[in-house]
Amino acid sequence: MSFLLRRLGFYFTAFLIAISFNFMLPRMMPGDPIDALFAAAQGKMDIAQMDAVREMYGFMDGSIFEQYIAYIQSVFTLDLGPSVLMFPIDVTTVVGMSLPWTMFLALGSLIVSLILGVTIGTYASYRREGFFGQFVPPLLAFISNFPYIVTALLLFYFFGLQLEILPLAYTYDPSIDPGFTWEFISSVAKHAVLPMGSMILVGIATWVFNMRNAMINVLGEDYVTMAEAKGLSSFRVMYRYAGRNAILPVATAIAMAIGFSFAGSIMTEVVFNYQGLGNILLKGIMARDYPLIQAILLILVSAVLTANFIADLLYVWLDPRISK
Amino acid sequence: MNVSSLNTAKSKAPLLEINNLCVDYVSPHGIARAVNNVSLTIAPGETLGIAGESGCGKSTLAFAITRLHKAPALISNGEIIYNGRDILKMTDKELRAFRWNDVSIVFQSAMNSLNPVITIGEQLTDVIAAHKQISPKEAVAKAKELLEVVGLHGDRLKSFPHQLSGGMRQRVVIAIALALEPKLIIMDEPTTALDVVVEREILNELYDLKEQFGFSILFISHDLSLMGEIADRIGVMYAGNLIEIGDAKTVFTNPSHPYTKGLIASFPSIHGPKERLYGIPGDPVNLLKLPTGCNFQARCVDCMEICTKDDPILAELSVGYQAACHKL
Amino acid sequence: MNKATTMSSDAAASAQHQKNKFKLKCHAIWIKTKAFFHGNPPAIIGVFLITMILLGALFAPVLSSHNPEKRVARPHQAPSADHILGSTRNGRDVYSQVLHGARKSLTVALFAGIIAMTIAIAVGVTSGYLGGKVDEWMNFITNVFLVFPQLPLLIVLAAFLGQVGSLVITVLLGVTSWPWGARVIRSQTMAIRNKEFIISAEAMGESKIRIILVEILPNLISIVFGGFLGTVIYAMGAEAGLGILGLGDATEVSWGSMLYWAQVSSSLYTGAWWEMLVPAAALALTGGALALINMSIDQVSNPKLKTGPHMKLWKRLNRETMKSRGLL
Repeated sequence: MSFLLRRLGFYFTAFLIAISFNFMLPRMMPGDPIDALFAAAQGKMDIAQMDAVREMYGFMDGSIFEQYIAYIQSVFTLDLGPSVLMFPIDVTTVVGMSLPWTMFLALGSLIVSLILGVTIGTYASYRREGFFGQFVPPLLAFISNFPYIVTALLLFYFFGLQLEILPLAYTYDPSIDPGFTWEFISSVAKHAVLPMGSMILVGIATWVFNMRNAMINVLGEDYVTMAEAKGLSSFRVMYRYAGRNAILPVATAIAMAIGFSFAGSIMTEVVFNYQGLGNILLKGIMARDYPLIQAILLILVSAVLTANFIADLLYVWLDPRISK
Repeated sequence: MNVSSLNTAKSKAPLLEINNLCVDYVSPHGIARAVNNVSLTIAPGETLGIAGESGCGKSTLAFAITRLHKAPALISNGEIIYNGRDILKMTDKELRAFRWNDVSIVFQSAMNSLNPVITIGEQLTDVIAAHKQISPKEAVAKAKELLEVVGLHGDRLKSFPHQLSGGMRQRVVIAIALALEPKLIIMDEPTTALDVVVEREILNELYDLKEQFGFSILFISHDLSLMGEIADRIGVMYAGNLIEIGDAKTVFTNPSHPYTKGLIASFPSIHGPKERLYGIPGDPVNLLKLPTGCNFQARCVDCMEICTKDDPILAELSVGYQAACHKL
Repeated sequence: MNKATTMSSDAAASAQHQKNKFKLKCHAIWIKTKAFFHGNPPAIIGVFLITMILLGALFAPVLSSHNPEKRVARPHQAPSADHILGSTRNGRDVYSQVLHGARKSLTVALFAGIIAMTIAIAVGVTSGYLGGKVDEWMNFITNVFLVFPQLPLLIVLAAFLGQVGSLVITVLLGVTSWPWGARVIRSQTMAIRNKEFIISAEAMGESKIRIILVEILPNLISIVFGGFLGTVIYAMGAEAGLGILGLGDATEVSWGSMLYWAQVSSSLYTGAWWEMLVPAAALALTGGALALINMSIDQVSNPKLKTGPHMKLWKRLNRETMKSRGLL
């Protein structure tokens, strides 16, 4: 329990650091960011709204410390001001619309590649002298280390443009009404195949190698030999005795992978014009929509921190030694 | 009467008979023979100790008995007969049924031989369930009973290994070894990881359990003085060869082979007068660069010309007592 | 006079000694290199590809057929004898661009890797060796950096700074991608610092700096190099990503900016695949080749992962013995 409380404290501190970083960003920019914002809005904003944004950013009279407190307040009340790009819609609303899609891509591909990778890695360690163990890991290492953007582009070109078997843009067919219908769900699934597939391709090698290496280390342990000596089936020895322990170091790598997966989602969304945070982020950058950009960074940080905490819960569940 | 009938049984049918066993390691630099042409028997109810320095092949020999050796080790020659069946010729299925049911193993360190993330209960019951057609409930009851046999409370079934002390863990390992009431238990340095007091406690318990269940023990250790107490017979290995084997008392008090002499001289005796300890000069031989002739020649104080030419052969010195040395 | 000659002969002897030492060292390196590639096709393929790519980057001015920054062809010309990889929408020669782009992209990636690993070593070794409060704080900072999504952070920084040149991107990539390396180096340092040779060096009163430089760092080489390659792969991908998002300096010729212009000109939709796929393939090959090398380095730092040609012999012998026992 104290382990989880400590982690929670750590994530909260990390979140505060992210907010402080966000607070400092516009202050580090050359010139007055609010003026730049006003210019970028090209007359869509009036003076009163400008002042509201100024206040939201904490650019008010008073010491920098007072400004900082005001900014933290506005973050925790989710009052992040209007978006320039989609004026006058609130930044929070814009982000809220696209966040689920990014979560879907980032976490979905992470989970699929984790499961696939762990299975392949276990099998590769079992057959390490055979064709599978000798050939598949290097092949995956090669393919998986294409940059995110390159894998996405290659799949986009070959499966989308050349073979024309899968859709190239959007999260679902715009002509279908969202809802819990078969039509909608299958459209979402079809649109997710290429972006998610490219992310899985990039993500999978990490897990194959982590799992294979952990298995090879664990297979030499006495408790695995003893399980074998007990006359248990080789399936039980592999998965219950060896795999159960080999998964522990693999689980610690999840923390790092979560951040990578979100980053990958941002890149991939741009290639496939997928309506998630990455796409909005790019549009925000083009339009110099600073409130939007900052809100996306904040929401990404909180999503990654939350996912990390869930990974910690998973770890406590996996390793009984940690909770004491 | 009882003793003599036991003796005749011993001479008639050994429980385990190892004939000309060879185990090789295929290394990048060549093939190393870790166990060379070893033959020995274990009678029902007998404790056989195998002693030697680390790397002499004693653990490899023990692992070979249930075919636990892994790549790049290889049993290249010989046979291991248990109750009339050659273990080396068993199919995977037969081997699985044979393991633990007939021969169980107590590993060197209980810390490492219990899986840290699986409960004691599961590690006890799964072996029972794998070999016997009984309900989970009965398996749990049996597991509780076993824990009580080794002096632990039945509640410990729910514990994880890290929640127990070193001595308790070794007791759990012994309980697991007893689970199917095997005829032979292989003990690979079962108490080296424990402190002396706990070691004593556990050994005493082991005596009692042996009385109660009547299994044979193959006791692997580098600690000759410990072995002098516990074993009926002692075998000594050097560089893969069995160089001396006989009743424990003779091997311990009046050894024949120069290596055994050196080994015994390098141990302090607890009860006797203070004496100077003598080690054995030199290092163990490299298994990839074995000399012609006796493997022990470079370290032997009595080395003769013939020792550098011919391999000494294990010869019967008296009934049931063998040693391999040109001097004898 | 006499003294002078002895001195010079001393000097000669020591020079000879130095020379021998050097020879021995070279020989050791040669043996290690051979062992690294022996029976390891992935390492051979990886090193071959990287050598070709580095040579291409190094001799770009000689190898390229046109000035990469000048309009030398009609827009979107398909690959031909004149322009072997076609031309861009703006009439640049793709072949010449990809060669010159390699220089920029690889420089960014290599220097980002050097910056990141320098920070990682400084933080990881200090933290792991000193322990205590220093370690607590450094570990906290490392973990904070580790949970932050680096690439989005980078994108936002680049967005706020406006279109940034490759120098800024290098520095940004370097200072944001050290935490993983620091973490691995820290845990390895902690493992090494309790080894006997460190403790004896401490007992002999060697300074901390000397222990870190002479005793610890040499043992971290394979981990540091592995981390370096990982960072280079990541930095190269990030540079390309920032490029295609339009956050890099589009007037410089790099693989990232090539992707950007290909994206802007919708080259994939108009059928001019070469403008997009050539830099993409260059990135893919470099990343894949580096990963193959990295995988082989893993086997150096963890010998358990390496399987050598001797396993083939084992497999054959094992099959033969199994057959002789009627098991196959």
